[in-house]
Amino acid sequence: MSGYLITIATIIVINAIVVCGLNVIVGYAGQISLGHAAFFGIGAYSAALLATKAGLSFWAALPLVVTISSVVGLLLGLPSLRVKDDFLAITTIGINFIVEAVFLYIPFFGGALGIGGIPRICLFGLRLKGFSFFLLCLAFLVLVMTACWWFTRCWAGLACFALREDEEAAASVGISPVRFKLLAFVAGTAMAGLGGALYAHYMRFISASDFSFPVSITLLSMLVLGGMGKLWAPLLGAVILGALPEIFRPLVEYRILFYTAILLLMIRFQPSGLLGDESLARKVLAKVVPGGGR
Amino acid sequence: MHLFIEQLLNGIAMGSIYALVTLGLALVYGILRILHVAHAAIYTVGAYVGLAVFKFTGSLWLGFGGAMVFCSVLGVAIERLVYYPLLKYPPYVPLIGSIAVMLGIEELCRLVAGPYILTFPARLPFAAVHLGSVTISSTLMAVYAITALVLAVLWYITSRTEMGLAMRATSQDMAIADAMGINSHQVVSATFVLGSSIAAVAGVLVGIYYNQVYPTMGAVPAYKTLALIVVGGMGSVPGAVIASLLLGVAETLLIGYAQIPLPRDALAFIAMIAVLMWRSEGLLGSK
Amino acid sequence: MSEPILRVENLHKHFGGLKAVNGVSFQVAPGEILGILGPNGAGKTVCFNMISGVYKPTAGKIVFDGQRTDGLPPHRLAALGLGRTFQIVKPFASLTVLENVLVARGIANYGRFGRIWGPWRSKDQVRAAMEVLDKVGLADLAGRKAGLLPLGNLRRLEIARALVVGRKLILLDESFSGLRHAEITRLEDLIRAIRQMGITVLLIEHNLRVSMKLCDRIVVLEHGRKIAEGKPEQIQSDLRVIEAYLGRKRRNNAAGG
Repeated sequence: MSGYLITIATIIVINAIVVCGLNVIVGYAGQISLGHAAFFGIGAYSAALLATKAGLSFWAALPLVVTISSVVGLLLGLPSLRVKDDFLAITTIGINFIVEAVFLYIPFFGGALGIGGIPRICLFGLRLKGFSFFLLCLAFLVLVMTACWWFTRCWAGLACFALREDEEAAASVGISPVRFKLLAFVAGTAMAGLGGALYAHYMRFISASDFSFPVSITLLSMLVLGGMGKLWAPLLGAVILGALPEIFRPLVEYRILFYTAILLLMIRFQPSGLLGDESLARKVLAKVVPGGGR
Repeated sequence: MHLFIEQLLNGIAMGSIYALVTLGLALVYGILRILHVAHAAIYTVGAYVGLAVFKFTGSLWLGFGGAMVFCSVLGVAIERLVYYPLLKYPPYVPLIGSIAVMLGIEELCRLVAGPYILTFPARLPFAAVHLGSVTISSTLMAVYAITALVLAVLWYITSRTEMGLAMRATSQDMAIADAMGINSHQVVSATFVLGSSIAAVAGVLVGIYYNQVYPTMGAVPAYKTLALIVVGGMGSVPGAVIASLLLGVAETLLIGYAQIPLPRDALAFIAMIAVLMWRSEGLLGSK
Repeated sequence: MSEPILRVENLHKHFGGLKAVNGVSFQVAPGEILGILGPNGAGKTVCFNMISGVYKPTAGKIVFDGQRTDGLPPHRLAALGLGRTFQIVKPFASLTVLENVLVARGIANYGRFGRIWGPWRSKDQVRAAMEVLDKVGLADLAGRKAGLLPLGNLRRLEIARALVVGRKLILLDESFSGLRHAEITRLEDLIRAIRQMGITVLLIEHNLRVSMKLCDRIVVLEHGRKIAEGKPEQIQSDLRVIEAYLGRKRRNNAAGG
């Protein structure tokens, strides 16, 4: 595999990990979040700072990074207990802008210069780069997707589904909205934090704009295109939206225009996503294979 | 004191401009419950069309008129082609559609007019006003006067015309409005015409005020205005105006006096989260 | 009367100046069907919402199964064995009928952090959930998406969920409203069957005929106060009730059945 393809594939896998976290919050628990890039950024910045300022290895820092991300996720998940729907959507946009501003304007976080000189990850004395780093990311993706799969099978996940469908009815069967919303935020932001740590060690240089609000929109678009709440949606969405700009590269000037046009067409004509219940792919499948559409 | 009054005047102008952009968003949210982020792209298009018509005809008023007509058509097109079919889906679906529309329009502006900053060399026919030692420049006067005019017209339409009544009924409850014989789809389109025209006025005005027109001029207003409609109380037009004026003044004064480390663009969101935690329905909202 | 399963004492709920519930007291004995009746705006629903934890009372006491519960949130009350339905049905729409009941079966696990990680789709759980669906007559529809069911079946589904949760008491919020005559009869049978299982039922009802037939005792509210309490036949002959409620409501209810 060429270096170019490996780079794209690695970014796609990292994005898929982050979008899995978003799927837990939005797809499973039904709490809209338009600020997921902030948590991605918090993971990346804490990994970068622990590596460059504290001199910790990736592996030593990882538990800390995930803890920091999920604690911040817990704090920033608190508004979801007070506001809902559109209010929550705009609140999370606000959180994204504020977190980005903190990275950009506070010298501790490198300010406008960002943080550079982040070391590579070592495993068994091997410095991971290129294909070996891709494999590491892939291993983490398998881990995260397994966790997501288990989440949909366990009581915690079922409680989140119930909350997503109807909060009052969920409470009437013993589900504490506070406990399970925060649980989803913690799990989802922990995954974003893991993705952020991988991103920081892969790029080896990060700055605030890597985690700005448009990134959150891209992450959410991946999830919606894949199919909100579906296990494989994050990977599918990350592949499509990760590959499209590369496919359109020959269009040079018109690349972004085509990208946005495709995004608009997909959301307009497949609003429940490619794996969603009303998707074209499913309808076709249902016709070809009896019962295959379920 | 002198400096303070000048800052205050600038702040009110800034707030007036925010208000003009936020109005359309508040109107659309009030009626469709959609976060119409692409509204900011309509405002950008307004600035470009206004500039083009002005350059072609030499008349600023034709520039305003042309921008309003073009933006109205664009607004209604977005409503019919993108929002209307997506209304039954969860709110993030039309929101993503809206953001895609905004990015696409920004790109189109860049491709058609070029990525650079264009100047808008028009003079607004307003006289500067001298109050003692303080001078209100002609551009500031123009911003005040045009904002006041727009607000007056908007007030007249919503409170004194049949269409305005239908709009208010539809924003209360679309199903009931339908049952009362109001053609709610027509009312929604009228709302987009109204909101987009105001955005066009705002675009031209901002182009002249800063003497700058560029493709991404809508990027910051796009999201800041979301914070403003929350602070004002979702869909409340007077609330949106008050929130915009407060923010314009607060931003200008904070930049002028306090050396806070946070950028002013985050201020709107900090204010918003503070308001939400304190009064989750916004300044003038109802639960 | 033996030790009551639910005791409401001098309950008040004020919204600003409006006294929605203004000093209501009553008791529910184990095993009985108690109906709360009253015209619209009498304070029935507000009372119900305080008992189920949605509202915190302005003043007064609620004792459920020997424990003070006023001010406890709904999920805590559910954990104590109080199940409820909703007047405007609230199914978990995109889950199946079976999954809806399984969500309720999680009541034993949601409160303990160590137990929420166990699988919910085990054979035992499914069998237990199917038994409940069988009781309410929805076993055939177990695999159907809840959002696609008609109103009558959705009310049964809510009762199924309430049965799982409400080991001691279930609250039914106008379960008969919007139903056709045949469905009403079937639902009456179901509620009698529930009583046979030894579960206490508290129901709010608008429909007089149904309450008179079904309830062991009836409490009548008007303007946030209790104006009568007793057996259906006593209520039927109570002058105040006739004046305050039946007289005004007779015409409406004749049409509604």
